Amino acid sequence: MTQLNAADLSTRELNSRLRDLVARDDAEIHVENPGARHNLAVAMLKSGKIRFRGSVGYYCGGLADGISIEIDGSAGWGLAESMLGGTFRVHGNAGNGAAAAIRGGTVVIEGDAAARLGVSMKGGTVIVAGDCGYMAGFMGQKGVLVVCGNAGDAFADSLYATECYVGGEIKSLGTDAVASEVTDEEAAALESLLAANLAPELRALKPQARRFRKVVAGRKLWNFDKREWKIWREAL
Amino acid sequence: MLNALACRGPDSAGVALYGSPQPGRMVVRVTLGEHPDARIPACIHAAVESFGASDFSEVGAYLRFTIAEQSPGAKLNGLIKAIETVSPEVEVVSVGRALEVVKQVGSPANLEATFSVSAFVGSHALGHTRLSTESKVDLSHSQPFWGHGYPDLAIVHNGHITNYHQLRRRYEQRGVRFYTENDSEVVAIYLAECLEQGSGLLGAFEAMMKELDGSFSCLAATASEMGFIKDPFALKPLVFTETDAFVAVATEEVAIRAALPGNYAVSEPQARAARVWTRPA
Repeated sequence: MTQLNAADLSTRELNSRLRDLVARDDAEIHVENPGARHNLAVAMLKSGKIRFRGSVGYYCGGLADGISIEIDGSAGWGLAESMLGGTFRVHGNAGNGAAAAIRGGTVVIEGDAAARLGVSMKGGTVIVAGDCGYMAGFMGQKGVLVVCGNAGDAFADSLYATECYVGGEIKSLGTDAVASEVTDEEAAALESLLAANLAPELRALKPQARRFRKVVAGRKLWNFDKREWKIWREAL
Repeated sequence: MLNALACRGPDSAGVALYGSPQPGRMVVRVTLGEHPDARIPACIHAAVESFGASDFSEVGAYLRFTIAEQSPGAKLNGLIKAIETVSPEVEVVSVGRALEVVKQVGSPANLEATFSVSAFVGSHALGHTRLSTESKVDLSHSQPFWGHGYPDLAIVHNGHITNYHQLRRRYEQRGVRFYTENDSEVVAIYLAECLEQGSGLLGAFEAMMKELDGSFSCLAATASEMGFIKDPFALKPLVFTETDAFVAVATEEVAIRAALPGNYAVSEPQARAARVWTRPA
């Protein structure tokens, strides 16, 4: 294991050291004192393991492909944005736009997520142990989005085909989003997904998490039809 | 904290500090303008004599003095008018039992160099470093804004109030004076009006959520309360932490971590969130 002290390095130096170490197949890198700085570990394109011993700022791990990142504190805006593959685990909370536009990989947020979680997902898996905020899942195209706690306003607005599950209350559904029951098969898949990604004590925090609901697209916005102008007026 | 955020906007910087009130007195802070005439302080002395003014001091472009406490919630228009008729350059920046607003053009580091803000002892404070987008860069347009006429109220705002012109017209028709072209000023005026009607800060925030449009992450404080509000779309950043020892709110976590060591959790509040903390009596 290699230890780096972020306090001694500029962001560019730190990212370049991380990239070098990962390229040399270093098993695990611990970064001390990240101090919630922005743009840490962006565009890491090899497999490897990085652990931030504190909070990170905006765009941590953006554009990642294959890296595994663990954050002991919280994350700022745009965590793992546009990730292609890899795994992220945030022990604290995540700011706006976490896991936005990811195409693959897994993001686990053990605390709460703020607004615009997992918007425009084109693949991958997002799991939030706590609550999520406004507009989560907006225009999701593929992948799986699981919120164990409560969801904020306009959940899954203009959804395509991301599989969305919410364990708690949904404050309001977005345009064209429809809540439905989970089938036995889906419940079993969800159960094993959560068992694989969340420690039992985290799952126990939200007792209602066992009663998940699935949110799917009503498909009214998928094709434009001018006779349905009323729906569009509301949606746009 | 402000130094950590200076890269977001170093046009101007300011703080609203809440110190220990002196019984029966209020602190008045007046800016003398960019190129003050040496005779202005003496003219202000004369103008405020009838308010029981004393303890005059001058630092940077500011004249500071205390006056006899005005009755609670009283409009200080008479005082403001008496001071500001001395010269068009002169502006009352804050009045309050505990509040002192210090702001100037330039970075937070400059602010510290001129006013030694870090030496101030008090219970709470708001700070701001500005990236000007739509209005000019000068002392008046910089933040925090005092709730003009309402003692001890100060605000800082990040965002854009889209119904600013409509609200401004409404207030101007009632005779409220606007000092700047900055849309954030209307937040201070709006909250001052709510507090004057006795709503308390949380009630004022709830009303603000209904009546002010656009994006806002906003902090406000009085001598006894401090809180934040986030707009319905969570468009602007704001994070906070709450421990037994302190409450800290900032645009970015990097500011909190830079100022306060320790092991605590930080989170970004949801859209429409409003929180108020009351200072223990």
